[in-house]
Amino acid sequence: MSALTSPYLWYSTRATGMVTMGLFTLVVVLGTFVANRVGGDRFGRFEINELHRSVSMVAIVFLAIHVITTVADSYVPTGVLSVVVPFTSAYRRVAVGVGAVSLDLLLAVWISSLLKARIANTSWRFIHWFSWMAFATALVHAYLTGTDARHGWGLALLVLCAASGLAAALWRFLARPTRAAGRTALSPLTANATLAPRAQGAPPSRPNAVAASRGASRPTSRPLGSGSRSHSNPPSTYTHDAERPFKRRPRP
Amino acid sequence: MGVKRKSGGFVLRVNPILCDGFGHCGELAPDLVHIDEWGYPMITTQPVPLANLSALESARYAVRGCPRQALHIERTAETI
Amino acid sequence: MIAERTLPRVLHGASGRPLSLSQHESAFGASTSGPLLDHLEASGLTGRGGAAFPTYRKARLLREHRGHHKLVVVNAMEGEPAAHKDQTLLATNPHLVLDGARMLASTIGAKDIAVCVSRENVTTVNNLQRAIHERERRDERGVRFELHTPPQRYVAGEESALVHWLNDNESLPQYRARRPHVLRIGHAPALVDNAETCANVALIGRFGADWFRGVGTQRSPGSVLVSVSGAVERPHVLEVALGTPLRTVLRHGGADTDPQAVLLGGYGGSWLDAEHLDVALADETLVPLGASVGAGVVVVLARSGCGVAETQRIVRWMANESARQCGPCAFGLPALASDLAHLVNPGRDASDAYERLVERCGVINGRGACRHPDGVVRLVRSALRVFASDVEDHRRGHACAGSRSGRHYATVPHLEREEELVWE
Repeated sequence: MSALTSPYLWYSTRATGMVTMGLFTLVVVLGTFVANRVGGDRFGRFEINELHRSVSMVAIVFLAIHVITTVADSYVPTGVLSVVVPFTSAYRRVAVGVGAVSLDLLLAVWISSLLKARIANTSWRFIHWFSWMAFATALVHAYLTGTDARHGWGLALLVLCAASGLAAALWRFLARPTRAAGRTALSPLTANATLAPRAQGAPPSRPNAVAASRGASRPTSRPLGSGSRSHSNPPSTYTHDAERPFKRRPRP
Repeated sequence: MGVKRKSGGFVLRVNPILCDGFGHCGELAPDLVHIDEWGYPMITTQPVPLANLSALESARYAVRGCPRQALHIERTAETI
Repeated sequence: MIAERTLPRVLHGASGRPLSLSQHESAFGASTSGPLLDHLEASGLTGRGGAAFPTYRKARLLREHRGHHKLVVVNAMEGEPAAHKDQTLLATNPHLVLDGARMLASTIGAKDIAVCVSRENVTTVNNLQRAIHERERRDERGVRFELHTPPQRYVAGEESALVHWLNDNESLPQYRARRPHVLRIGHAPALVDNAETCANVALIGRFGADWFRGVGTQRSPGSVLVSVSGAVERPHVLEVALGTPLRTVLRHGGADTDPQAVLLGGYGGSWLDAEHLDVALADETLVPLGASVGAGVVVVLARSGCGVAETQRIVRWMANESARQCGPCAFGLPALASDLAHLVNPGRDASDAYERLVERCGVINGRGACRHPDGVVRLVRSALRVFASDVEDHRRGHACAGSRSGRHYATVPHLEREEELVWE
């Protein structure tokens, strides 16, 4: 490729990078609103969901411009492959590599969401949890790539995005709604580890194992507190492997 | 989104295991869905005629908008 | 050969120990093969697990369904605490059950049979293990028996939960959008039948449909195993002909001769007032009274007991036994238990609790993936109907004498972990 460079490509990549970071922060915050069931009175919950989807589409467009202008600009010799294959860039291997990791995760999230009606909902949710990681690595990429993010307004924007993301993550974890089952979410945040499950392991179906599992599965009984009202997710005693929170359920 | 039929009916149905009580369906299809005190949908079991396009459209939006993809539309032969 | 029109049938030859394979063959004769499906259809056998679905229809559906490796699953889980008929049957005639399963397997073209019994039921597990070993030693070619032991939970005996266990080691009921739905284990279609149903199939396969119709009524032919508990000397399992008056069943079970009411079907069944005790034990006579034969459970409530308090204890336990997959069941059943508790120990809000109870019954009914919440709603509604005068007293704030006495008749397993309940 002939040396295609122009200051405008360089400025575009930096500018769209910052805009993408801001937009994805908004996407993450909106996603947290959806998950925590915000809305119903003035804003419809479905509206926040639609906004989350729409803003993410816009953010992806800006991300595409950011990637294309980076690759097209020969001032920074990144190479096309380094966009998706991490740590293969000639320029700033680590910084661009982290960006590639973020992009890969985001591609998985995006494609799974495009196919949401066709794949099992549990698979979609499993992949969607990785959006947090995509967001975090994007912030790291912004800092490491650093032309703007190390000082001035760029740093202020980065700090604002990071703080918003952290607040969203904290709120997501702390204010998670009471679900019918403590085991629907395929994530370590599921509060199903408070009590030992009643049945242990995947036992062989033989009588000599029955006596052993009977002894092992007898839980310690707790005294009944007066007015013991639990608002946390009720633990399920059906699943017998609390050690494997990522257990996948079969497609219904 | 499919051929428009003038005869027959449909029922909006929920998979109660997938449903997590988000309540988006109650907002998108209020004629078909009422939300109970715990946030879960109560859907009319009477078939709605397919000719009722606004109901069908709202049902389709509900199916698309459900965060857990718990809704589906079932075509029935008879109408009310 | 069992003579026509005699009982016992599935409990024939009962001694202190389960019958060995040779004893079984001398008692019942060698098993036959033949056009089982026609015999099943002519006999009118319905499932004995509680749902009373016609057995021949299930078998025919599986037979006509495409699939190479089909499976038969024998459901001996017996999740109902008030029922112990399956364990009694397996302690008497395990080979009859296995024979029936084998006949069903050859009818639908299956080679594997999974026998499922709760792992906490050590005696039954041992009985089955011994019976299966005897068959393996006999080297019967054609079918393979496997024993599976899911953990003991109420919904673990539900057929889709059982299949889910065999698939994924989780006893969770599945959502079935369209009925009839063919359950699958892996890719293999599975026929799930109760142990008592399989025993009856074995008898029909040997002696024919006309023999089977020798006892029972026209619309409810055959015999049924009834577990009598509650106000009895000790819990009994009786084999009775369908259509026997309920009073006769109670008398043979050693029950209180002047009860207040009986609970029929199971903990998801219905109460029946004592004035109807002369009704025949058959679905065609019970359904108009709002009850059904169900899993053959009869719990007798003495006059000194309180039906509302018993219902509250049962509903509280049933709420804890929810699989907690569906919101209306996971949140609704504990709400029903809480409302009933407010009614049993009446305070100022007893009347509000009653209103909430009635309203919530309508809200919860039919909105779960399985029939667990429907059963509880049926129980509560029947209690409000049968114990209407007691309910009225409780509503006004006067607990009846029975509830104050604290005597319990329905055996409800101890709730080990209070925190498992989801309260509002």
